[in-house]
Amino acid sequence: MATSEGAGDHVQEATVEEPLDLVRLCLDEKIYVKMRHDRELTGTLFAYDQHLNMILGDVHETITVTEVDSETYEEMYKETKRTIPMLFVRGDGVILISPPTRA
Amino acid sequence: MLFYSFFKSLVGKEIVVELKNDMSLHGTLDSVDQYLNMKLLDIAVTDAEKFPHMLAVKNIFIRGSVIRYVHLPAEEVDVQQLQDASRRDAEQAKHSTKTGAAAAAAAGKGQPTKDTRPDQSDKVAAS
Amino acid sequence: MSAPTSTLDAFYGKKVLIITNDGRTLVGSFQGYDQTINVVLTDSSERVYSSHQGIQTVPLGAYMVRGDNIAIVGEVNEEEDAQLDFDAIKAEPLRHIVH
Repeated sequence: MATSEGAGDHVQEATVEEPLDLVRLCLDEKIYVKMRHDRELTGTLFAYDQHLNMILGDVHETITVTEVDSETYEEMYKETKRTIPMLFVRGDGVILISPPTRA
Repeated sequence: MLFYSFFKSLVGKEIVVELKNDMSLHGTLDSVDQYLNMKLLDIAVTDAEKFPHMLAVKNIFIRGSVIRYVHLPAEEVDVQQLQDASRRDAEQAKHSTKTGAAAAAAAGKGQPTKDTRPDQSDKVAAS
Repeated sequence: MSAPTSTLDAFYGKKVLIITNDGRTLVGSFQGYDQTINVVLTDSSERVYSSHQGIQTVPLGAYMVRGDNIAIVGEVNEEEDAQLDFDAIKAEPLRHIVH
């Protein structure tokens, strides 16, 4: 526990005043990122900036494609998965970031 | 600035750039700027069957805004240094936005009167 | 290392290929650019790709392409380009850049 008189790093670690502080607390943690165009990522957060540009390690990406059956008009969801060891993600595609869920 | 500096440290290394049109190119990073525009040398398209558009093209300029991902050589990435830099930048950004906001508020006080002045003089002239 | 935009200087007078955000491929002689990456081409043409026939070339003349709509500018190796068999190259048109 850092006290309010604590200086430097301690204050930074303890305070959550704005949304990006929450992202800072995710550094070195496994996070979930929802991206535009039905892409989802999980990976370890190594770097970020105010645009939500990020570098993630050991990334698992899931792309969901919706296909409509031409005869039954039923919607089919097709998932494509891949893994990338180290990935830079441009922030303009990011919708949300979620910290690791603890069981 | 963090990612600009980071990519500068990767100059000369092989990277894979994935664009927002699903095209993926690999090549040697030659230069990068503040917008994360990149120049790559000796490129090849990952799926040349599907994208034969750049068969006779070796050196390219890529606009930063069309990049979706960059696949990085993991062994060239110092993750500890990146985390330290992210914390440092977050701290710095906070201070600069606070002082920046104060400066903007102060500037804002003077602004409206300045803007309405020509308007008023027009009315006077018209009447 | 110099900035990528200033290294567009290396393209002056050369044959370049531009891929636009709407998936078009333009080829022409690189005459100039500015800080927003607006680019001027002369003797330009569009290369139209199709999955059922070879590349069609449509002459366009002098073009100024707005930077916002440019994805890639590439230097064309003219010798290699001349070796390409346009009639044999078939491909789906490129997808648009979707932000």
